[in-house]
Amino acid sequence: MSPVTFNVTRLLDVDAERRPAVADELRALAARSGALRRVVAPTDERSRNGGDLLVHLRFADESGWRAVESEFDAVAGRPGVTRVTGVTYRGEPHRRPVSGTVYRTLLLRVAPDTPPQTAARFEDELRAMPRYVDTILSWQLSRVESTVGPTAWTHVFEQEFTDADGLMGPYLMHPIHWAVVDRWFDPECTDVIVRDRVAHSFCAVDDPVLS
Amino acid sequence: MAAEVFVVDRVVTKPGQARRFVDRYLAEYAPGAVERGMTLRSVLVSPPIWFDDRPNTVTITWSLPSPLAWWQMTWKGRPDPELGRWWTQIDELLQERERSVAAAADDVEALCRMED
Repeated sequence: MSPVTFNVTRLLDVDAERRPAVADELRALAARSGALRRVVAPTDERSRNGGDLLVHLRFADESGWRAVESEFDAVAGRPGVTRVTGVTYRGEPHRRPVSGTVYRTLLLRVAPDTPPQTAARFEDELRAMPRYVDTILSWQLSRVESTVGPTAWTHVFEQEFTDADGLMGPYLMHPIHWAVVDRWFDPECTDVIVRDRVAHSFCAVDDPVLS
Repeated sequence: MAAEVFVVDRVVTKPGQARRFVDRYLAEYAPGAVERGMTLRSVLVSPPIWFDDRPNTVTITWSLPSPLAWWQMTWKGRPDPELGRWWTQIDELLQERERSVAAAADDVEALCRMED
């Protein structure tokens, strides 16, 4: 287990012509933000509801984020940025000894009428997935503290994967996903508790993120 | 050859409602499921009597040719709010309902190794 960090994620929809400039500005801001880990990257086109740019920052504590929050908000308000969704949360990542080349974040909203013991079972099953999917090299499941955008996200499930094939292949195709965990998301199953569209966003990374 | 995936709907009907449930399931739900890629394998009624005063257990089994086909099926259905509404409406005929996903025992190891 690594120390608890204060985490921020923003998914931005940005007009194609403005995307490089917005990304450059966000990278420069992230570099001087004091964040322990930072990602500013275009999302993989196979992301779903995941934005065009993925921004993820991990601070030693909340004050680090609060010191730069208004500057990030200003970039998010630039012309060409058409939608911003995001979360803040705290958490402790779990790691295997090697780092991945793809960072993925899943934002989801558990229905507010879900009994706490049911939500706890759901969380336990998400946490169990890396036992079955060995292309997940690090992971963190967190409850959300604050949100940006129209959806009141409740959870963030992050992973580093070996590569994009490790996400699109073993993670998706293992029975732990489609025969066990997915029933919480499936409106045809009585166990469904995630009824809103999720945000599934991933990008290539050069350095470890979840550490 | 990819392993087949089975989707199993098991319901316990309200007393006397089994025939009505099966008729509605086959008329209202099954055509869309077939369009989404599922093949109907069996509709079993237990006990095999159309009770008018007792519940029946109805077990409906569908198959899909692979886990990928399962995902494609659910991705087609999930954005359609009518599908969730249909299940909510049909609940008026049911005491219990459960959907599970399964595979042949001989395919379990290959599925967990994610071999096609």
